[in-house]
Amino acid sequence: MSDFLNISDLTLAYGRTVAVEKMNLAIAKGELVALLGPSGCGKTTTMRAIAGLLTPVAGSITIDGRDVTRLAPAKREVGLMFQSYALFPHLTLYDNVAFGLRLRRDPDLDAKVRAGLETVGLAKFATRMPADLSGGQQQRVALARSLVMQPKVLLLDEPLSNLDARLRLEMRVELQRVQQETGVTMVFVTHDQSEAMGLADRIVLMRGGAIEQIATPEEIYSAPRTTFAADFLGFETILPIEGENRSMAWRPSAVVLGEGPHEGTVRGVAFAGERREYVVESAIGMVKVDMPASDTVYRIGQPVRFDLPKDRAVIVENS
Amino acid sequence: MFENRAVGLALTLPAALFAAALFILPVGILLSEAFQGENGFSVQAYIDFFSSGRNQTVFWRTLKLAAFVAGVSAVIGYAAAFCIVSLPPTSRGRMFGLVTLPLMISPVARTYAWLVILGRTGFVNAILVDIGIMDTPARILFTETAVFIGLLQLFLPLMIISLVSAMENMPRDAIPAARILGANWFQVFTRVILPLTREGLVIGGTLVFTGSMTAYITPAILGGSKVLMLETLLYQRVTVANDFVAASVIAMILIVMAFSANLLLKRIATARKTRA
Ligand SMILES: Nc1ncnc2c1ncn2[C@@H]1O[C@H](COP(=O)(O)OP(=O)(O)O)[C@@H](O)[C@H]1O
Ligand SMILES: [Mg+2]
Repeated sequence: MSDFLNISDLTLAYGRTVAVEKMNLAIAKGELVALLGPSGCGKTTTMRAIAGLLTPVAGSITIDGRDVTRLAPAKREVGLMFQSYALFPHLTLYDNVAFGLRLRRDPDLDAKVRAGLETVGLAKFATRMPADLSGGQQQRVALARSLVMQPKVLLLDEPLSNLDARLRLEMRVELQRVQQETGVTMVFVTHDQSEAMGLADRIVLMRGGAIEQIATPEEIYSAPRTTFAADFLGFETILPIEGENRSMAWRPSAVVLGEGPHEGTVRGVAFAGERREYVVESAIGMVKVDMPASDTVYRIGQPVRFDLPKDRAVIVENS
Repeated sequence: MFENRAVGLALTLPAALFAAALFILPVGILLSEAFQGENGFSVQAYIDFFSSGRNQTVFWRTLKLAAFVAGVSAVIGYAAAFCIVSLPPTSRGRMFGLVTLPLMISPVARTYAWLVILGRTGFVNAILVDIGIMDTPARILFTETAVFIGLLQLFLPLMIISLVSAMENMPRDAIPAARILGANWFQVFTRVILPLTREGLVIGGTLVFTGSMTAYITPAILGGSKVLMLETLLYQRVTVANDFVAASVIAMILIVMAFSANLLLKRIATARKTRA
């Protein structure tokens, strides 16, 4: 059962512009997968295709062994929480959550809607209109509206990016709880690597309409495959290895400030609690460095030496 | 807007006086004409008007054609507006321009174009005869059909514009959200698009209905004296018969119908909204 949701050779286009090309991806039942990548790399497009809002140019999509490539969105048993939430502004929260169940003529409609609103903590607002709610509450309604349909796959487009820091944490906990309780297979989109790391079982890194790397957060954190992956995952300093098609990459925390073969000038300092973050200008470019806050403090404009230790670098392919 | 209400009122006074003197007063005089009997107030003129079989025909025809034009333009308007808002922004602007283009051309010119198209030797008849649907050219001009086509073409842009702006104000992903939740296209329309564009429909419907009812040039050219509408009848009463009483009655009927149409449509819109 390693391919509950299976995408093979999927090509998607808007008119003549190809947005996703020959994508292959297999997702297991109950897995929580993050589609990670910069803006415009085709994440939303992929979600829309899985949901059936966009007909593929080529390739196929199967869910639970059933080929859904040409199936209408309604028949796929897929839920999608839109980045804009897409609540129906003319309906109360209750009617928003009941929308799909009503079309289905569900016999337990009332119980399911109430339970759904209860789950996201909005039961007492059942008769309110969406416009009366905060952004975070609206999003929880959108989540409940998808969940009550008991989809086989739940898709979430940028579920955390419109929320402030506190609500983001809340929603993250909420999603993990939903995942635990319902065991639903979830795919969520994000352009923020820390979100993907924090939430996903597996990360699918995308770049320009293709998959760059598929790995667990641990793997991708310690062993990005390419310079693109390294750069996207916070390896700020990347130096090509001469005569090879590979590069070395360092995280800011792998760079050592104070001694070493390189010299530069401090251009920026930021205190970040446990650590202090520096930007150092040098012959090899701007280098970002993280040092323990208890270490020697360097001031802006001060000349410093630094080291890029080979044993703390990862080797990546040039992309 | 103004700190002092009185200042605001004072500023609107000139415009109000202007409107009163040049519009409300003459219309009032015209309308009051029909209420003057031999001994004071009387509705005899209205009874006389409606007791004529021909006048009744014209009244019902006007109502029917205006309602039809409004209804058909709503159907076409929704389809057109949906297509337009589904386009990417640049071609959307272009299509929208194309829709508004006829509004910039004189209705006289537009209506004469229909004379050419619908006439005995026009290309509609040429096609009908060529492909063998008809043996001889049909008479399309000076029928209700001709007036209907002319009015529809004249007022459809207003409906499309109202519906496009209403649809642009819908939340972006409301339609796909409904489809994923299991709605077919009919349900998407009745449960999402219609309730969210009702105001645009009311505005467009009122504009098209009152426009069709009060249009003069189109029924005059395409219907002539064979297919009289209230507006052409009014003109005829004044110029041919010098009958200002009948003209006054017709003017009143048109005003009442316009207001009723607007109230009715608004009623429908709000009634559905509160029920939902
Ligand atoms: N409706 C559309 N019409 C044409 N091109 C589109 C449309 N939506 C997205 N695109 C293009 O497809 C590519 C992928 O977009 P998208 O999937 O939205 O990216 P992401 O969600 O990763 O930011 C982008 O280059 C974007 O410009
Ligand atoms: Mg996106």
